[in-house]
Amino acid sequence: MADHNDPNSVNSAFSDIDVSAADLYDFFGFPTNSEAGAEKVYMALTFASVPQTGVFDSDILYRVQIHAAPRAAWPEAEGRGIESLLKYVDAVKEKYLGSFKASEIRVNVDTAQRASVKFLNFHQTGNFSTTIDTNKVSEIKTPDGHVIKAFIGGREEAFFNDLTGFFRSINYAPQFYHVPHTMLDGRELPIPKTLLELEGNDLFNFNPAEPEVGYSQKKNMPPGPYSWSGNKYKKDDKGNFRFVYTGNDSRKGLNSNAIVFEIPLAFLTAAPAQDRIVNCWGESWVLKASKKVPGIPDHPVLSENPIALLRNFNQDEELKSYKLVDTDGQPFADAALSEREDSRQMGANNFWLAPTFVKRLAHLGWGFGPSISALGLKTSFNHDNSPISIHKTYSNVFEAFPRVAKTLFQPLNMPDDSWNPKCLNIPLRRAFEVFVPNVCAIDVDTTGTWPFGRRLEDQVATRFLALFLDMEAELNGKKYHIELLNDQAMWDSAPIEPKTPPNPLRNDKEFLKEFPYLAEPWPPRS
Amino acid sequence: MPSLGHHAVDLRRVEADIAELEKTAFLEPLQHAEVARYLYRLYARSALNGDLKELRPLERLINRAIECLGPREDICLLKANLDFKLHRLAETKRDLSLVPALKDRREGRVILADVAFQEGRYQAARVALEALTEEDQTWDVLARLAHLEAKMGDAALADELYTRAEDDITAKEMRAFAWVQLQRGLLDLSRGRLDDALAHYDVADRAYTGYWVTEEHVGDALESPSHYERVLEQVDKPELAQKLGGLYAKAGNESRAQQLFTRALSGYLDSAERGEVHYYHHLTEYFADVAHDGEEAVKWARKDIELRDNFNTQTALAWALHCSGQSAASVPYIERAIESGVKDAAIFSKAAIILEAAGLRSKAHEYEHRAAHLNPLRLHVHAH
Repeated sequence: MADHNDPNSVNSAFSDIDVSAADLYDFFGFPTNSEAGAEKVYMALTFASVPQTGVFDSDILYRVQIHAAPRAAWPEAEGRGIESLLKYVDAVKEKYLGSFKASEIRVNVDTAQRASVKFLNFHQTGNFSTTIDTNKVSEIKTPDGHVIKAFIGGREEAFFNDLTGFFRSINYAPQFYHVPHTMLDGRELPIPKTLLELEGNDLFNFNPAEPEVGYSQKKNMPPGPYSWSGNKYKKDDKGNFRFVYTGNDSRKGLNSNAIVFEIPLAFLTAAPAQDRIVNCWGESWVLKASKKVPGIPDHPVLSENPIALLRNFNQDEELKSYKLVDTDGQPFADAALSEREDSRQMGANNFWLAPTFVKRLAHLGWGFGPSISALGLKTSFNHDNSPISIHKTYSNVFEAFPRVAKTLFQPLNMPDDSWNPKCLNIPLRRAFEVFVPNVCAIDVDTTGTWPFGRRLEDQVATRFLALFLDMEAELNGKKYHIELLNDQAMWDSAPIEPKTPPNPLRNDKEFLKEFPYLAEPWPPRS
Repeated sequence: MPSLGHHAVDLRRVEADIAELEKTAFLEPLQHAEVARYLYRLYARSALNGDLKELRPLERLINRAIECLGPREDICLLKANLDFKLHRLAETKRDLSLVPALKDRREGRVILADVAFQEGRYQAARVALEALTEEDQTWDVLARLAHLEAKMGDAALADELYTRAEDDITAKEMRAFAWVQLQRGLLDLSRGRLDDALAHYDVADRAYTGYWVTEEHVGDALESPSHYERVLEQVDKPELAQKLGGLYAKAGNESRAQQLFTRALSGYLDSAERGEVHYYHHLTEYFADVAHDGEEAVKWARKDIELRDNFNTQTALAWALHCSGQSAASVPYIERAIESGVKDAAIFSKAAIILEAAGLRSKAHEYEHRAAHLNPLRLHVHAH
């Protein structure tokens, strides 16, 4: 799950919430330069295939927002204090609250399944729109002579991961038990997060007698308490830990709907030579009931409702007819770091959440950090050499920060140089830059592999876990890197069962070699 | 073939779900999610059908589910909603206490605010609803606050709150949207604005087609027998039979009126004999205004006020006492109703009549004037 099942209002992991077309899954983005050398950028927003694969809900509006900018080197490269973080957040805030205005592609599919595609605020063309067929590749000619490839239709679900393993690692009850969405304290139970099963954690440890629980089956929630009082990881009779992950693809055989574009960089910016970073993110909005039925005008002035007037002031006319549901930029920004809260669907403007991220990262670190250490690996999280995962929450960001300083600020090593084909002096990215703002930041001088964008084949779920590895440490003479946990050889020698990378290494269906790259959808299930 | 209206489509969907779920929902071992989904679908069908009788078997199933599964939050919440719908306020509070966390959940707090309002604790209801609104401006809470403001006299604020509630409702919730339109129409009617009310009813009708509740509201506004007749073909509501009987009686069709009154009374009494309390206020009205049996009206009004001591039940008891010739005894009750701060033309009108009968002429004139000021056309409005 990159951003599947969030926010909570469309979180179908709960037993009483239906799947919604507003539930965004993933945002992919990477450069796709043509053979002739023209620089292009690929963007794909995927979401729940509701009502069906390739059939769209006409009440939902999707937005892809785009902003190209120069690659900015953070001036405080050595700073690792909370002051540096605050300065960074202030700079982002300044940008997104100032005169910043993103370009935007707005898509709505009508009941006849024709897609209206609007291009808004593009630097050279201003606004224009067109209508295209769904489920086929279209070429859209822009007023200034560029050609944009577009595909709006059903595709194979491009994300591949062990969703159940992740939920087992964070003791997320709705995946395993029937939890109504009203039961707020029935979500992540107060048990240490961990990569290794905890001895006696009967609520979440894999039970061979009930292998489908957490996959195709859910159990009745047992009576509490929902805590854990043990003090060690579970081991089998050979002394091996039990991995919470299985490496299986829980999204296997599933489809999504998708909005996909391939856009010339020169269309996105007047200065393509300077603007080497294309920041983009997606949003889903649902039509308001009042706009579905023409009725009595309720203009705020007419109804003497100044609060509504203020509330709507910053929205254009079309958006006033819709309500924001979900945003998607970075994988895990919502699902893992902002806990899917409906009120935290902020898109790029998520700088307000920086303190929440720090506290949440520290909470996760107390779980994942000690289990990484138990495997004999070095962690970026400061857990004071705790031999066991600990359930700890923070209310104070200053208390949490020293624990996660390294996790936030360490450069995320890449496994080799293939990500940087032009061998340019591009700084490695760091966690705080990756998640704030919540955008997919495509570096067009790289391959666009995460965190320099996000390619379809990237195993981002495992790369996310690598944030907790100490990137200064070495294994077999090589520095740790974001692909380390994807290395089968490493797991073969680890005292763990099953000996597998946490998540599958590749998608269950081959991606296409040409646009729209996402694989053809699976046939409907009988 | 004509396409189905929204209401029929929803009903068909719920029926299909129920048909599927009823096969397995209560098979051992019970699966919490499946049981809960089944019970909620049954509740939804009752709401769509407007048939409170469907709640009886549902209540038995809920109790069985709690017995087998233990007190689960969602099922206890449903039980609380059911009890509240049937005016059983003490039971509603008890249901919420079955799971201690529930009364602190947003959904539990909303019901407790409703209970406070029904118990005449208006300030507590207001404080609770305002706190909920501060946390999250959801349409259901905004609409409740709007209702409270409407009753307490700030129609402009109420309408603004209804507008904000509307703004929170999405195209996936058209029945809720229609319902808010109906509330806005009622607000207009209570201020004598018939055309505005009908405009809201028209939007409701287009937003959620084939909805008998809209038709009933139009029938109320226009005092239209044909609307009521159509609704009665769809739903079995004794109170609607009484209203329709009233219209026929007014038109001089005594035999049809009597048929309908008999049907209404039979429905009320059957319910009361089963120990149900939700028709007490209709029995009060029936005996006071149709049967002109003041003593019997007082009996039911006293039973009702024991359960819900609010401006509606106080007014009903005052009116029943007045109809039984006990005008002096009725004055304290109508005064209590008015002291609540309610500003309602129907209550003021009754107050004027009661006070006049009790010899309090100047006060009576005052309330007659206030009723006319609020609702110059004296349009019919629901008093509960």
